[in-house]
Amino acid sequence: MPGISPSRSAPKSPARASRALWPLLWVAGLTVPAVLDSSWVSIAAMFAIYAVSALSEDVILGRGGMFDMGHAVYFGVGAYATAILNTSFGWPILATLPAAVLLAAAAGALLAGPLTRLRGDYLLVATIGFNSIFVLTMQNDPGGVTGGSDGITGIGVPSLFGFPLASQSAMFWLDWVVLGIVLLLMRNLDRSEFGRAQRYLKQDELAAGTLGVDARKVKTQAFALGAGLAGLAGTLFAVQLSTVSPASFVFTESVTLFAVVIVGGPGSVPGVLLGTALMFVVPQIFRDFAQYRYFVFGIAMIAVMVLRPQGLWPQRRRRA
Amino acid sequence: MGTFIQQVFNGLTVGGIYALIALGYTMVYGVMRLINFAHGDLCILGAFVGLTLLTGAAGSGHSGAVLLLAAFVLAVVVIAAAGVVLELVAYRPLRKADRLSAVVSALGASLLIENSIMLIWGPDVHVFPGDLLPATTWTVAGASITFVQVMIILASVLLMAALYLFIHHTRFGTAIRATAIDQDTARLMGIKVNRVILTVFVIGPALGAIGGLFVGIYYREAYFTMGWTYGLYAFIAAILGGIGNIPGAMLGGVLLGLFNAFAAGYISSSWQDAITFALLIAILLVRPTGLLGEPDAGKV
Repeated sequence: MPGISPSRSAPKSPARASRALWPLLWVAGLTVPAVLDSSWVSIAAMFAIYAVSALSEDVILGRGGMFDMGHAVYFGVGAYATAILNTSFGWPILATLPAAVLLAAAAGALLAGPLTRLRGDYLLVATIGFNSIFVLTMQNDPGGVTGGSDGITGIGVPSLFGFPLASQSAMFWLDWVVLGIVLLLMRNLDRSEFGRAQRYLKQDELAAGTLGVDARKVKTQAFALGAGLAGLAGTLFAVQLSTVSPASFVFTESVTLFAVVIVGGPGSVPGVLLGTALMFVVPQIFRDFAQYRYFVFGIAMIAVMVLRPQGLWPQRRRRA
Repeated sequence: MGTFIQQVFNGLTVGGIYALIALGYTMVYGVMRLINFAHGDLCILGAFVGLTLLTGAAGSGHSGAVLLLAAFVLAVVVIAAAGVVLELVAYRPLRKADRLSAVVSALGASLLIENSIMLIWGPDVHVFPGDLLPATTWTVAGASITFVQVMIILASVLLMAALYLFIHHTRFGTAIRATAIDQDTARLMGIKVNRVILTVFVIGPALGAIGGLFVGIYYREAYFTMGWTYGLYAFIAAILGGIGNIPGAMLGGVLLGLFNAFAAGYISSSWQDAITFALLIAILLVRPTGLLGEPDAGKV
């Protein structure tokens, strides 16, 4: 296994400098609506949403080492939860948010039951299967709540203390704050007992087991946490577009999230953010060349992997 | 009884096609533990290459059988070459890298091939000419069986038998099996592992191109996302039989074909994929490495 022995930590001072840099970058991001026009604001908002989604995939794939190629399911559960609770039951958007997170987390924990029994590529195949089942279920509209292939439209705007966050900028700030919270969470995850157990499990499951790490439990927690965060991103996505439909959660989306993590650098927050920017934001900018989008994606994915198999911005090695 | 026999023949036809495509997934997985996500797209590229020859030579006066044979030869040659390029460019540099890097490279190759088809042939559905083969139909116990079905079933059986003999009764076949069991040991025994892998990337795509052309001839259509649709079924067949296991891919293909044929009558088509996947996941839970797959030793 490559890199099983953690190298000595990198020189201290540049690491500290970069640690101070990230909060500054985040604060600078807050000014996007003030300095850029509205199309850029919505691109930045989508970046924040997909970044949360990709970071949540990283919890399972990058940090957990489980080949989850059906992550769009949890993103979709969150988005549909918000859409249905808001349009059919009249819940305010922000009240649907915890429900979406909990439902997605529950879906993750539930699917982890069978998934954690499978290994490697067989787990990957099962996640593809769950993705396909999810999309077909949404399309076939059981109980008449999902709106079939057209999905659900007319999702409301969130309001905070009575003020509607209707403008593009207000929604961007909401997304950006959520991204900030998730980034803090990822940072703490690295140092938590759960994060350490995950790293250990990924490096050597047998050895971790002999030291009392409960593999099933940690893996299930990873699915629940990753799915819950994806559900959070799903709520933001539903609000941003004010519509959800099955097409947004198909297997291709899961592949893109998977690729974002591996291309960016598994387990690396800056890597995943960079991957998100490349895979989700760059295509928005080159919308006129939409038909070449996946053609270029394909070439880029091969090129990055061949030239930098460890990802564009790999995780710094740290001791477990 | 008539419908039963009918469904058996329909199932065997589709199952034979799935098996031909599944062999490419399973052989590549066998020798390098990689799900070659680009395989389904390669197969459909084969269908488009064959179709181009068929439509281009439509007025040339040759008989349908000659044209068809030429289309198969061309598709096999082009797709085998594409398979070799794929291995050399996208997979060989990643031999020593993390497995996930190769998976993403394979996904990239899949997108690249699928969208190349779209850019070259356009996004529309292309119709295969229907007058190439005799429209003969036989009636067996109340079921009608077409010439195309018989051709596909016979060709699939012959190709699979040939592959089986090649893998199990030739020196090179032994080298392929040895590489599948343990690459490093095979290398120490003097087997040229890279040459074995390259051969697998000739055989798999060649069989896949034949499978892809059969898809086009049987359903009489081709469109650029078809590689995903049929590739996925073939891929499920490979997993079902136990990926990496050659008889497993054949068994998985036939079982899945029969399942689809019989399910078509009883299950609404909008749920068919979901039920196929649910069945696959259920089988994996009972037999985590597929029907004929060897048990996983535990440490990957």
